[in-house]
Amino acid sequence: MKAMLSIARREIGAIFATPIGWTCLAALLLMTGFFFAWMLGLYAETALQAAASPWDDPVNVNDHLVAPFFSSWAVILLFACPAISMRLIAGDRRDGSLELLMTSPISTFQIVGGKYLGAMGFVCIMLAATLHFPVMLLWLGDPDPGVLTSCYLAILFMSAAFVAVGLAASSLTESQLVALLISFAVLLGFWLLGAADSQAPGVFTKVLAHASLLDHMESLARGAIHLRDVVYFLTFSGFFLFVAHQRIEWMRWGE
Amino acid sequence: MIQVEGLTRIFGATTAIDGLDFSVDSGEIVGFLGLNGAGKTTTMRILAGSLGATSGEAHISGHCVRKEARQAKRCVGYLPERLPLHPEMTIQAYLEHAARIKSVPNPRKAVARSIERTSLGQVAHRLIGNLSKGYRQRVGLAQALVHDPAVLILDEPGTGLDPAQRHEIRELIGELARDSGTVLLSTHVLAEVEALCTRVLVLHQGQIVAQDDLEAMRSIHVHLARPSEAAIQAMRSVPGVEQVQELGEGRFSVDASCDRELLGQATAPHGLLEMTLRHRLEERFLSLTRRGSP
Repeated sequence: MKAMLSIARREIGAIFATPIGWTCLAALLLMTGFFFAWMLGLYAETALQAAASPWDDPVNVNDHLVAPFFSSWAVILLFACPAISMRLIAGDRRDGSLELLMTSPISTFQIVGGKYLGAMGFVCIMLAATLHFPVMLLWLGDPDPGVLTSCYLAILFMSAAFVAVGLAASSLTESQLVALLISFAVLLGFWLLGAADSQAPGVFTKVLAHASLLDHMESLARGAIHLRDVVYFLTFSGFFLFVAHQRIEWMRWGE
Repeated sequence: MIQVEGLTRIFGATTAIDGLDFSVDSGEIVGFLGLNGAGKTTTMRILAGSLGATSGEAHISGHCVRKEARQAKRCVGYLPERLPLHPEMTIQAYLEHAARIKSVPNPRKAVARSIERTSLGQVAHRLIGNLSKGYRQRVGLAQALVHDPAVLILDEPGTGLDPAQRHEIRELIGELARDSGTVLLSTHVLAEVEALCTRVLVLHQGQIVAQDDLEAMRSIHVHLARPSEAAIQAMRSVPGVEQVQELGEGRFSVDASCDRELLGQATAPHGLLEMTLRHRLEERFLSLTRRGSP
């Protein structure tokens, strides 16, 4: 475990040592700030209209502000997570430092686990930097703290899945740019499954809906933590971590 | 210490090494020679545990590198040709990281010892990215030593260094070899091998073509003012001289294992001008690696 934590700590340091880490952090804060201001304006307008109309129900802050706001983060993470994870293995292969890990008395599982923990550690730091949003919502309004927690869990699960794809892509090539493109293409593919499911006939609709990242994310962002969503994200992340593990094993035995 | 039997590694359609058999005993410093692409790095990577063998066995301190990979890796300090450094870290932080992933019980103490052995104390808190090539090489060596391994595997440690840095690193390796004991050193600089090693393994096209004691590759060059058959007979009569090779213009080459004082006395009546110790490593290496196939 010590070895894994040391790898994770080194990865967080390496992300902060490059402009990519700071750019992702700045972009997340900038974009979430923009989305928050925009959606707050829309919410205020809708709330005023509903208050003026005798037939409309009062507007719920959880459904009309919290859920759509956190769902919008997925777009930012779609770009940020591949950028954070593109150098995890590709960078080490390119500069030769992967040899330090490969010749150390640790397992491939520990290498993959350490790298993954490091990238997820950085994601947690990014998410911690956005905690002023829930604090502001709780101070000014009356959102359900359970829904807010569920939204953060949804973001965390989604990031975990995105980073796992990024790590797998990073293990496939020495080029960080190629790794970024592969992970972005894979994530976009799983994203678009959500849009494609309405076009597909019969049983495919169900399969595509189950495979879509966005459907599971939206379900969690509404404040409902279903076991199927949690299992989906864990399986999704686990599969791509397994791909990264096998690829490193192949570097050792197969190439 | 290092035991290799029938080691083979195939990459696709290319056989990088083919049935290598050799051993390195405790306390030996062995030069690993070969042309580029001969299979030296592949062999070293297999011994260090970063690459698997297609077939054959390799043992480090009695541990099989395949079946007991962790135990074997704990006994090996490996310095690859491309230094496995993290430029964004300080030397101290990097070595502590290396110590932790190598499961060293007391990383700080181990790092302090490694820094002392490689004389990095004054720059320990500098970023690796800001260091000269010579210092980076030292950091690479410190990384290989941090877990106090029984066997050191060094893959071209002098690459890219200027003559002064190369000399420093050579001296450092000499010191480390005296402390650590067993060293397998790959290099293209034959002077380095002559200065440091006791034995050489020559690899050519994936096969071991020679395993020679370095002492056997030495000879004494004698330059005489009055060369004659009597002079040759006089040299042959010296104990330890089995062969006298005439090089022309009064120069002769004789076995280095003989008593040099007696050789001097025997050749003095024939006008001894000069007597020097020479290595035949370069001639031997070139003759072995010029062949089309081993």
